[in-house]
Amino acid sequence: MNTVLSVENLSTYFKTDKGIAKAVENVSFSLNKGEMLGLIGESGCGKTTVAQSILRLIEYPGKVVSGRVLLNGRDLIKASDKDLASMRWKEISVIPQSAMNALNPIFTIGDQIMESILIHENVSKREALKRTKTLLELVGIDGERWRSYPHEFSGGMKQRVAIAMALACNPKLVISDESTTGLDVLTQAQVIALIKNLQKKMDLSVILISHDLPMVTAICDKIAIMYAGNIVEWAPTEDILKNARHPYSQALLNASPDLGNPEKEVVSIPGSVPNLVNFPNSCRFHTRCPLAFDKCRQENPEFKEVRNGHYTACFLEGVGNHG
Amino acid sequence: MLGKFIAGKFLQYLIVIFLMLTLNFLLPRLMPGNPLVFLAGEDVGFMSSAEKEAILDKYGLNDSIIEQYGAYIKDIFTGDFGYSYQQKRPISELLMERLPWTMLLTGLGLVLSTIIGVMFGAISAWRRGTKTDANLLTVFMFLSAMPSFWVGMILVSIFSAQLGWLPVFGAESAWSNYSGIDRIIDIGKHLILPLATLILISVTSTFMIMRYSMLNVLGEDYIMMAKAKGVKEKVIKYKHAMRNALLPVATVFMLSLGFTLGGATVIETVFAYPGVGRLMFESVLSRDYPLIQATFLIITFSVVIANFLADLIYPLLDPKVGSRNG
Repeated sequence: MNTVLSVENLSTYFKTDKGIAKAVENVSFSLNKGEMLGLIGESGCGKTTVAQSILRLIEYPGKVVSGRVLLNGRDLIKASDKDLASMRWKEISVIPQSAMNALNPIFTIGDQIMESILIHENVSKREALKRTKTLLELVGIDGERWRSYPHEFSGGMKQRVAIAMALACNPKLVISDESTTGLDVLTQAQVIALIKNLQKKMDLSVILISHDLPMVTAICDKIAIMYAGNIVEWAPTEDILKNARHPYSQALLNASPDLGNPEKEVVSIPGSVPNLVNFPNSCRFHTRCPLAFDKCRQENPEFKEVRNGHYTACFLEGVGNHG
Repeated sequence: MLGKFIAGKFLQYLIVIFLMLTLNFLLPRLMPGNPLVFLAGEDVGFMSSAEKEAILDKYGLNDSIIEQYGAYIKDIFTGDFGYSYQQKRPISELLMERLPWTMLLTGLGLVLSTIIGVMFGAISAWRRGTKTDANLLTVFMFLSAMPSFWVGMILVSIFSAQLGWLPVFGAESAWSNYSGIDRIIDIGKHLILPLATLILISVTSTFMIMRYSMLNVLGEDYIMMAKAKGVKEKVIKYKHAMRNALLPVATVFMLSLGFTLGGATVIETVFAYPGVGRLMFESVLSRDYPLIQATFLIITFSVVIANFLADLIYPLLDPKVGSRNG
């Protein structure tokens, strides 16, 4: 297994009028070749900020304040603008949140897919167009529709176009950032199936950002659970399902319905996500954690490996059986 | 399909023109004041009623409103806008004399202020939150707060009265027999101050629209996608962002285009510039019915034509509009 992406202690802060919002703090995880990682969390927990930090798309008032993002051994955070531009799309691409807005309304979809090919590869326009048509066919769209404008497609088809665009330069890593937001359930399933399918076919590494726990557990090899800017648990899917360590992970699992077990009682998590502006140095979940004790209010627990490949950040870890 | 679309639009605008013609006919007749005073001057008080009737008859003002309307429509379509009571000249002649000056002043003013507004609006948006942005905003807000006649007077007092560089009024030097390049230079000198005034007071709206529109576009996901794709910053700015951001500016430009033939009344008055705006102002002051109607009509026609043009051009700028209609 070789590591494609390794994120180490990544922190991204936003400057606000009221103080510093620590949107992402000390996030670490890695991704192997051909692996699919589900990044799960509530809205506003920092999933997209993690994605944007990896792609170095964070702009003022946001800033990546520390950490490394190693893509095949090269640090994206420190890369020069020129290196970065050449690595983008060629090595790492993104299927954006709501493709409705991710396609430029005044250019044809063919132009937009071709553009990414022509930037990165020394091929003729004719060759780029040929590849564009193949890509469209790959995601289930008639290749001849390259001449169409984004508004001439339905939401699901735009999402397919976005997937085709993400694959245009054969990247090694694709980040799918809640790519099914705003689609109906059936189309969501089709799009997710398409991503899974292509991932297997092309041996891609994929980070699947979502808040749909059952869907992610169904198709991802590993899962990272985020809460309020921290990754609280990161482990193979099986381990998360059977032996979630962090109280938040357990609460999240209890809050999701289970199709295989309709009798299961869905329990909501009391309280709400804390305001991240000027957040004190404590476990970020302590305000809602049923098991919180004094230490949780004074320190933020370290994110560490508790079993083989199973990482979590909780003071109860090793203290006794809390699951 | 396209032909049908154009024909449909054309019909719509024909109806608009007809309604405007009618309104234009009724408007001066509904206003207070008596044209007799202006036709006959101060003497009207000493005139017998027979004499008054004779004058009203001469100008067709004693006919029934229906007959007047019929004559009015007929005249419009034969290019005869009538005779100005006050100036004692055919109106078509007056208009032909004024229109070129107005087109020169307001047309150039619109084009230049749009270019300047777009440029600085885009720069301001690209540098949002920086000192450049704050300074540009301050300057343009300051400009928009100044009344046009005041700007005009300040410019005249500095560049004409104090420095003596530029002429005070008119479109060209009277009684001079310049020709060729000399005449063009003379016209240019006369044009600078009114044009500068016009640009100064009108540039802010384009600036604000462009800035706001560009900020919106820069916040769009497709701009972030272009960045993620590794598109160069310059290409993002000019290719991906600019064209989208220009759409609202194009709309405003088209709307303003319609009003250019109406001239810039205040500025033309301050600079005694022989444009349509001043003509309109004079005609309203003297209740010169035919002239009022003719100048309003010019504006109406040009607004309608500009809108028609906009309908034809917009689909080329925004593919969404084209497909919805065609």
